[in-house]
Amino acid sequence: MSVLSKKEYRPYYFIAPLLVFICLFILLPIVGTLFTSLMRDVTFLPQKFIFLGNYSDLLRDEGFWRSMRFTLFFIAVAVPLEMLLGTAFAALLDMELPMRGFLRACVLIPWAIPSAISAKIWQLIYNYSYGLANFLITHLGLSQGPVNWLGSEGGAFAAIVIADVWKTAPFVTLLVLAGLQAVPHDLRLQAKIDRANFAQIFFRVTLPLIKPVLLVALLFRTIDSLRIFDVIYVLTNGGPGGSTASASLYAYKYFLGGDFGYGSAVSVLLFAVAFGMSCLYVKVSKFESEI
Amino acid sequence: MKEESVKKLLTTLTAVFMIGFAMTPFLYMLFTSVNAKPDFLEAGWLFTLSHYRDVLGADSLHFLDYLKNSILVSAAASLVTVFIASISAFAITRLEMKGKLFVLFFVLAVSMFPQVSMIGYLFKIMTALGLINTYPALIMPYIAWILPLSLWILVSYFSQIPKELDKAAIIDGCNEWQVLFKVLFPVALPGIFSTLLLSFIFAFNEFIFALILTTDFNARTIPVGIALFEGLHGQIPWGQIMAASVVTVFPIMIMTLVFQRHIIGGLTKGAVKG
Amino acid sequence: MNLKLLLPLFLAFALAAGCAPEKKELVFAVGGAPSELDEWESVIEDFSREKGIKARLLRQPTDSDQRRQGILIPLKARVRNPDVFLMDIAWIGQFAASGWLEDLNPYINKEGYDLGKFWKNILDSADTFGGELVAMPVYIDAGVLYYRRDLLEKYGVKKVPEHWDEFIAVAARIQEKERAQNPKFFAFVWQGAQYEGLVCDFLEFATMEGGGIGLSGGKIKLDTPANRAAAGLMRDLIFKHKISPPNVFTDMKEEEARLFFQSGNALFERNWPYAWGLHQAGDSPVKGKVGIARIPAFPGRSSVSTLGGWHIGISRFSDAKSEAWEFLKYALSRGTQKKLSLALGWNPARKDVYSDPEVLAKYPHFRALSEVFSGAKSRPQLPYYTQVSDVLQRYLNSAVAAKTDPASAFGSAEKEINAMMERYK
Repeated sequence: MSVLSKKEYRPYYFIAPLLVFICLFILLPIVGTLFTSLMRDVTFLPQKFIFLGNYSDLLRDEGFWRSMRFTLFFIAVAVPLEMLLGTAFAALLDMELPMRGFLRACVLIPWAIPSAISAKIWQLIYNYSYGLANFLITHLGLSQGPVNWLGSEGGAFAAIVIADVWKTAPFVTLLVLAGLQAVPHDLRLQAKIDRANFAQIFFRVTLPLIKPVLLVALLFRTIDSLRIFDVIYVLTNGGPGGSTASASLYAYKYFLGGDFGYGSAVSVLLFAVAFGMSCLYVKVSKFESEI
Repeated sequence: MKEESVKKLLTTLTAVFMIGFAMTPFLYMLFTSVNAKPDFLEAGWLFTLSHYRDVLGADSLHFLDYLKNSILVSAAASLVTVFIASISAFAITRLEMKGKLFVLFFVLAVSMFPQVSMIGYLFKIMTALGLINTYPALIMPYIAWILPLSLWILVSYFSQIPKELDKAAIIDGCNEWQVLFKVLFPVALPGIFSTLLLSFIFAFNEFIFALILTTDFNARTIPVGIALFEGLHGQIPWGQIMAASVVTVFPIMIMTLVFQRHIIGGLTKGAVKG
Repeated sequence: MNLKLLLPLFLAFALAAGCAPEKKELVFAVGGAPSELDEWESVIEDFSREKGIKARLLRQPTDSDQRRQGILIPLKARVRNPDVFLMDIAWIGQFAASGWLEDLNPYINKEGYDLGKFWKNILDSADTFGGELVAMPVYIDAGVLYYRRDLLEKYGVKKVPEHWDEFIAVAARIQEKERAQNPKFFAFVWQGAQYEGLVCDFLEFATMEGGGIGLSGGKIKLDTPANRAAAGLMRDLIFKHKISPPNVFTDMKEEEARLFFQSGNALFERNWPYAWGLHQAGDSPVKGKVGIARIPAFPGRSSVSTLGGWHIGISRFSDAKSEAWEFLKYALSRGTQKKLSLALGWNPARKDVYSDPEVLAKYPHFRALSEVFSGAKSRPQLPYYTQVSDVLQRYLNSAVAAKTDPASAFGSAEKEINAMMERYK
């Protein structure tokens, strides 16, 4: 440390509080979880170190692979939808519209409702006997009888995606909107004078400028979707026939059953996937050059 | 002219879709909260305010305690988070520092861990500190959990702001803190307010930590509080839950309406021209 | 700088040193609806006043997984609170095998506490683990069949069918007639969603010889003719006979089934006894038209009910064990059991409450229940029952949804569970 002059050392004071909080309340539990994943940590058996035993069991576990496939497929469908809708809403709210403030508050509502509750709303919407979804389609004449939304794998998957997109698109909207506000209006004005149409302005001028914000939204939506839990827990609990069990839900069941080692190993693998995907995003987008 | 009308049509369509998409489930929730039974679509309307009376009036539900806890915990967590994240983002985007990319990625990486696997360790930490069922037991982990997101958002906003701005300020004789508070903050205000709002909502929505780290209405927050409404065999008092949710959404609506002025107005054109 | 280094050190030290100084107050963890918790609150108050022991309630959510998590984490961390708590019958195996539950036998022997007031089959199959009595029932559940008395009478059915073939014939006939006035009518609702309730229902269907979750030599046996027949029947009720609605396997848990029946749209309903009070409530469309019977069986076999309910246990890490024992006795006393029963419609764990005139006047159906309880079967008391059930739920739900045929569903479930059980050898 003495090698650093006082001046060089100063910037680190600015990030010290950040590191203290993260190390105490995230890193410490993570290190613990990593250790646990190398143990046979089952409440009803003596603890012992088994190194990669949990992982090798996991690789042979059909239920785990199924949940992993579901989770990745879910991300591949839900995240692009969220980004698309969120950005479109943000672009809209960035314009000079009447009642803009009210519109902004409206768009944020889904995200403001705790997911433990919003999942319940969707449960009611999809309710077979008196839910809103069946009420609408039968009264609009789209279907003869009620539809068993959660009854088929495709239907349950779509139901979960819709509920999740509804809940999280506003997150993207808020991020992108603030990013758009920081784009100098003169630039767009200039482009307009150069006879670019509004689509061209958006894609050629605005979008590249908000790339950092878009990347952050994409990163955090991906990471968050990898952990999807609440909506599924309430809507299907993994059904029908285990087709909608996410990896988090799978880990949760093992924690509940007292097998902390196995559950931790699932978490660590999920983490590895998240890490790999983030590295990929950052590499492809050349994020370093943006800072 | 043709382009203008296409644009207008597109805008209107998006706006209609957006409102429908965002508001339909909310309105459904609102209607359920004022109906005697959740099957009002099929069985007919039965208007009542009794659910609101139950939720706000019954002492044993402790709904107002939960609401108070939620607001205080989320406000404290989000304010501290945004402050810490701002100074860190400032250091990362504006100061000469080795390993800034490492810090960014380290923070991002740790935020990827599934919460459910860590809760056992957090419980042990909080038990050791004697903080179970207190505000700090929630506020501190929330700060740590929201920091990565806040940091990344603020880094991305700060990096959008032309560096000439603070160079000019430094030439004028400002030190780092002055550059941060007098130059960057006013320009980055939309970003800072949206981060504050996002952080607040994040803390407001959190469930698992609150479930395990609190034990009663002295510190429990809304999401867990509402989970306490159900009956032993899963009887769901839809009306009460929806009434509680509607009441819960109001603080956030008000915050958004207050903040959105700043989200728009924070940016002065002159400043960005540089 | 020093401070930043010290804080983690302090934390590590605090973790190693264990718990903070103590205060003796009995903590009882229990979940449930506000009305249920209020009732517990008043029980706790009475207990504190009468016995002079300071006690408080730790309110938990109702969701059984969340309740479990809320107790599991403190117990795994070996902290003193909660001292005493309620467990779902399905967790007892895990909790006991983990060494978290205090053996109650020494307390019982010391005081000569009378266990004769409780059902022996329940104490033996659910509460005894490795020779120790680790829990006591507080509230008993067992699956029953609700039926519409008025409809059976209307169509001249004298007796509730006891076997499936007869049951299906009666159900299909009445459903067809009723559909004329009520297109939403279905004859039979039960719990088929992917959750623990599905396993409970399945065990009641699997009444043939060799049905249920078989265990021998550390291996599980599921793919038996009896189980195939049961799963096939469950699927056929929905897809072949069409007497159960298609959402049975998606969203039908206890409440969905109860509401369906209660709105007058069903003839039969499989549910727990709690539904009785709600069916008979003032605003219920089926009030006064409901009867209780035993769940049908395969021809030549007799009915089986799955045992459910909540049991009370004392934490081995408690610092107030004798106070906890006092509370346990208080919760199981005739007075408390009667009070909870009258206020909440709970089925008491004590036999003597079932003959109490005041209770019987309010709940005439209790007479039938006490017979059901004495024959009810518990689920296997395995430490890893949760994991077994989780796999079984998935494949069973898939079979009920007609996505997989029963034979291959049970074959796969068996394979997956046996592989999982290897982990716990």
